Amino acid sequence: MSEYAEKIRGIAKKLLDDGTVDMVIGFRKGTMPLINEPCFVKDAAKVDALVWDSSCGVNLANYLPKRKEKIGVVAKGCDSRNIVTHIVENQITREQLYIIGVPCTGMVDRRKIRLAVGKEILSVSEADGKITVTGDGYEEVLDKQEMLQDNCAICIHRNPVISDEVIADPVEEQTDVDRYADVKAVEAMDPEARWNHFEQLLDGCIRCYACRNACPLCYCPTCFVDESQPQWVGKSVDKTDTRTFHFLRAYHCAGRCTDCGACERACPVGIPVRQFTKKLEKDCKELFDWEAGMSLDVRPPLDTYRPEDPDEFIK
Amino acid sequence: MLTKTEIESISGEVGNFSVNLTKQPRYVDQDLCVGCGACAEKCPKKIPDDYNTGLSKRKAIYVEYAQAVPLKYAIDDRYCIKLQKDKCGNCEKVCPAGAIRYDQKPEQVTLEVGSVVLAPGFKPFDPQGLDSYKYSEYKNVVTSLEFERILSASGPTHGHVTRPSDGEEPTKIAWLQCIGSRDMNKCDNPYCSAVCCMYAIKEAVIAKEHQGDSLEASIFFMDMRTHGKDFETFYDNARNKAGVRFVRSRVHTITEDPETKDLEMRYVTEDGKIEVEKFHMVVLSVGLDISPELVELAGKLDVTLGANRFADTDSFSPVATSREGIYVCGAFAGPKDIPQAVVDSSAAASCAGQVLASARNTCIKSKEKIEEKAIKGEPPRIGVFVCKCGINIAGVVDVPSVVEYAKTLPFVEYASENLYSCSQDTQDGMAELIKEKNLNRIVVAACTPKTHEPLFQETLINAGLNKYLFEMTNIRNHDSWVHKATPDLATEKARDLVRMAVQKAALIAPLAEAELSVNPNGLVIGGGVAGMAAALGLAKQGYPTHLIEKSSQLGGKALALHKTWKGEDIQENVAKMIKEVEDNENITVYMETELASVDGFVGNFTSTLKGKDKETTLEYGVAVVATGADESKPTEYLYGQDERVRTSLEMDKLFKENDPALDKIQSAAFIQCVGSREPGRPYCSRVCCTHSVDSAIALKERNPDANVYILYRDIRTYGERELLYKKAREAGVLFIRYSVDNKPIVSVNDGNLTVQVKDHVLQQTVEIPLDALTLATAITPPDNSKMAQFYKVPLNDSGYYVERHAKLGPSEFATDGVFLCGLAHYPKPIDESVAQAQAAASRAVTLLAREKIFTSGTVAVTSPANCSECGVCVSLCPYSAPSFTTEGPFAGKASINPVLCKGCGLCVASCRSGAIHLNGFDNNQILAMIDAL
Amino acid sequence: MADWEPKIVAFLCNWCSYGAADLAGVSRMQYPANIRVVRIPCTGRMSPKFALAAFRKGADAVWVSG
Repeated sequence: MSEYAEKIRGIAKKLLDDGTVDMVIGFRKGTMPLINEPCFVKDAAKVDALVWDSSCGVNLANYLPKRKEKIGVVAKGCDSRNIVTHIVENQITREQLYIIGVPCTGMVDRRKIRLAVGKEILSVSEADGKITVTGDGYEEVLDKQEMLQDNCAICIHRNPVISDEVIADPVEEQTDVDRYADVKAVEAMDPEARWNHFEQLLDGCIRCYACRNACPLCYCPTCFVDESQPQWVGKSVDKTDTRTFHFLRAYHCAGRCTDCGACERACPVGIPVRQFTKKLEKDCKELFDWEAGMSLDVRPPLDTYRPEDPDEFIK
Repeated sequence: MLTKTEIESISGEVGNFSVNLTKQPRYVDQDLCVGCGACAEKCPKKIPDDYNTGLSKRKAIYVEYAQAVPLKYAIDDRYCIKLQKDKCGNCEKVCPAGAIRYDQKPEQVTLEVGSVVLAPGFKPFDPQGLDSYKYSEYKNVVTSLEFERILSASGPTHGHVTRPSDGEEPTKIAWLQCIGSRDMNKCDNPYCSAVCCMYAIKEAVIAKEHQGDSLEASIFFMDMRTHGKDFETFYDNARNKAGVRFVRSRVHTITEDPETKDLEMRYVTEDGKIEVEKFHMVVLSVGLDISPELVELAGKLDVTLGANRFADTDSFSPVATSREGIYVCGAFAGPKDIPQAVVDSSAAASCAGQVLASARNTCIKSKEKIEEKAIKGEPPRIGVFVCKCGINIAGVVDVPSVVEYAKTLPFVEYASENLYSCSQDTQDGMAELIKEKNLNRIVVAACTPKTHEPLFQETLINAGLNKYLFEMTNIRNHDSWVHKATPDLATEKARDLVRMAVQKAALIAPLAEAELSVNPNGLVIGGGVAGMAAALGLAKQGYPTHLIEKSSQLGGKALALHKTWKGEDIQENVAKMIKEVEDNENITVYMETELASVDGFVGNFTSTLKGKDKETTLEYGVAVVATGADESKPTEYLYGQDERVRTSLEMDKLFKENDPALDKIQSAAFIQCVGSREPGRPYCSRVCCTHSVDSAIALKERNPDANVYILYRDIRTYGERELLYKKAREAGVLFIRYSVDNKPIVSVNDGNLTVQVKDHVLQQTVEIPLDALTLATAITPPDNSKMAQFYKVPLNDSGYYVERHAKLGPSEFATDGVFLCGLAHYPKPIDESVAQAQAAASRAVTLLAREKIFTSGTVAVTSPANCSECGVCVSLCPYSAPSFTTEGPFAGKASINPVLCKGCGLCVASCRSGAIHLNGFDNNQILAMIDAL
Repeated sequence: MADWEPKIVAFLCNWCSYGAADLAGVSRMQYPANIRVVRIPCTGRMSPKFALAAFRKGADAVWVSG
């Protein structure tokens, strides 16, 4: 992984030095292990802060909307798809960006690792698909594949779909994954079981909106939850309001979500909120053969009006 | 509108006709009748309902069907007990409006008009005379029109498919095609009715949708004629997806099982086997017929009919009858489907309008304007009027209690009941009350806003209120009429509906209607037959017209054609047309010119026209796209490798030039569907069957001893073109059918050209030596993507433009001010191209003639501060109303052009950022209604 | 549960389904009085927010037709 970091630093330095970009957005070490932070480097002398490992989960596309300067941005497969979505949705122009593509082998889920070791973690290192966790008087080696974020474990677009430069050879894409096992399980439930499932799912939600804030798709000047004329959603943690928020957020992501997992990673109480967005992702795949963020030329299916759209639901 | 009226005679001449009419009595005063239906409820006389093809009953006092315009009752004097025997009189007793007039007599009316349009329609063929199908005897043999009613949600079975003999659900239905069409033996209709194949497939598909997979639907046909736009795909889907079975066979007889009333059919399959099969129900796909009454009418009007009793017209003036100033549209001029009838009707309007152009805007009365009161800043002062509609509402809903309830609602200043809210005296009274009580929002709880909203808005205007300060709720159609057995619940519902309306009304605001002037210039793109006809259509109505043509010659593809199917010389007619265009002083022709840019919108377009060595900037109000299509060049059947293999147009060239090579052709073949009706290009090119049949006849006429073959899949000589097919067979042209998975094979051995094809009758491969092979190749559109972007109009999968509505808007785009005609829409012959061009001009003139466009107040508006610039609205709107602002403080933000906005609210619902508001149906207003539940 | 009556909110397109409901009236088709109709200019106007709002207000079913 350190050669990735070296490569990123090298490119960042070159881009800043020759004025190709005004700023590079990448990752730096976080104050705690397993959570790297976004890093905005404007000075070529400071590129050494940039790092790369399996804790770079944050979707950097989230920092792009409405930027005016020229930006070099580090992009995993999912980040690149969100960058595509941003360009299609006029949040930034292609010309403003220098995309540093990073073939990705998945990001680890800090919660899974913490659960696996059960002790305070002081440092983490990784090599050859193994994660070595050390703490006060212990060292434990974990298999990275087993510690992946849920979305990374089923990811089929690990390589960037758009870039100006890729820092390494493409990684092999996963093919034998069932992307929608969890959605299918919910679909198979009878209405009562499904009701209970969602009730339990959202039980812990404290309406902090961290999922919304982490999501690159949520860039509206005013979010519907903050509108007062009319007020769609109450401000309390009333169950109905909580559900309304989650349902509408999912609708807003329909046909646009790249399953980057930012929402789940951000949730402080560990709600698997991807269940909502993935149902709609599955529907878009089945109805329109659509995957978000794969092309600069096509708008998402729910943004386009075509007389020949499937209408089997109308009878 | 004169209903129950017939023409007696027309005297005079074009520009100055006197039309004598007889207006039959309705026995109901049309001005007083409110359409409440109390009369029909109490009428004791039940008779078969003609509209439901006799499958249900109606009363002697009736409206023909629920959507009838005007929605006014009439007495059928053949059955009325009062009129026949001077007894009963119930309707007069119960009519709350006092509208019954038993003493009405036929009236003579004379109209002075400049031109006349005939649209008398057709009569479905009556199969009673056909012995072999026993339509009158076997209950489960129905006509397609009867089946249409059975399928209809408003029909006798509410759309539930049941068979007449026992009301059971049939699980096996057969459709028999060409009943009363393509038949000289059992009836006298040699023509094809052109619409039956498609409607039979539609009925079969819908029946399967209603009934589910348990229904087996079979269509027995001779040639499947799905030559309309998107029809072939519908046929493919019916066969491959919906599972409709298609059997190529003409069924000879039907016999009924006397016990079960099932129907047994004996038929010969394609490979010559005799099959016997039982069905629960048989639908006769009856054709289009011209009734003796129409023949008589034509005689009275001195309008010539052709051999098949359809009005005689010319390919280059397809809606003009033999009598100048009298035009025709619809099936009276030949069998045709809805899109074609709609095209013809607009074309007829255009031609009729040309005669009247000089008199435009005479005979106009204008209204006095009343000053609108400003209500800004005033708290809502709502007036609620609850209508009793005689006993229509008050007989079920407790109206006084609804009024009392309304008085308790917030902001309600005044509430009262009306006996008939729509009567003139009530309207006047309401206007007075609005002024007297200083009301600033009005709620009417009555019937449907779809018919009555404009009336009440007029009342508001007369009282000095903005017409959008009005909200209507429907406590009749949606309440008292449909919840008769539960008056308490109906009253509760009425209260709820009034509460919802009042809550919304408190939030409504006056809306402005923007005014926009229309540039009177028209632009026509494409100088082919369609483009020229469109330009002439606009110019003859007095509008300056600009015609641009990309090549150096007017005439387009018609320059390569020989004769129309009616035998008219195309070159002669096109030359005449070109001269007419060049001589018309309203038309400016731009040769070798293309469109380089388009800005603006309806009424106010600006374009750059790029000519050979100059650029012109043109401002115009409307555009007609007539960019045509091409004959495709095939890659199969040795085309390009052997000079004896030609396309249809190349063959026409020989005919046009009277090439002596034609006389040497002893054996000729035509291959149909070359590149059409295939997976990559699924549509039928519509013109090629007729073209080949016509050319085959011409070859036979030159050299009767020549062997002429047509290798086809289905012969689609629709309408009266069928007579050409008959003529070709009589002349000895041989027709051999092939299937798409077993195409003919063309080869050259020792310089001898031959075609091998499997003969469907002989069931073996035959080899035919040829001197000439003509390939009826597909018609394909050019790359239209640039133009489509210019005018923001859609293209379909095949590259043809998509019209506003396949049936009702065939000659215009969803984008206002842009129109469509000719082959750019879909392949079609010259007569249909000219008709569509005239139709496009007609539709365009409806805009130009207005001079000013007023937008509706019910349009979407953006709030730029909330806009995230994501572009969903811009991408989604079918009317291209939203766009990004290019300059000023809100550059980059979306804004909506009120002129183009139809107020559908699609953008509002799709805007994630809540930045779009729909005036009159805004989020807070709809939410207020939901909150009031 | 025996006398439970559902509350149904219908969002009907002005051009088709609202007109169809009008015709049902003209034809005097009888149906239960549990429906409250909200007329919208087109089903394109329908937003998931409206459906959720109706449920929040106690609707047992939301019907969108157009």
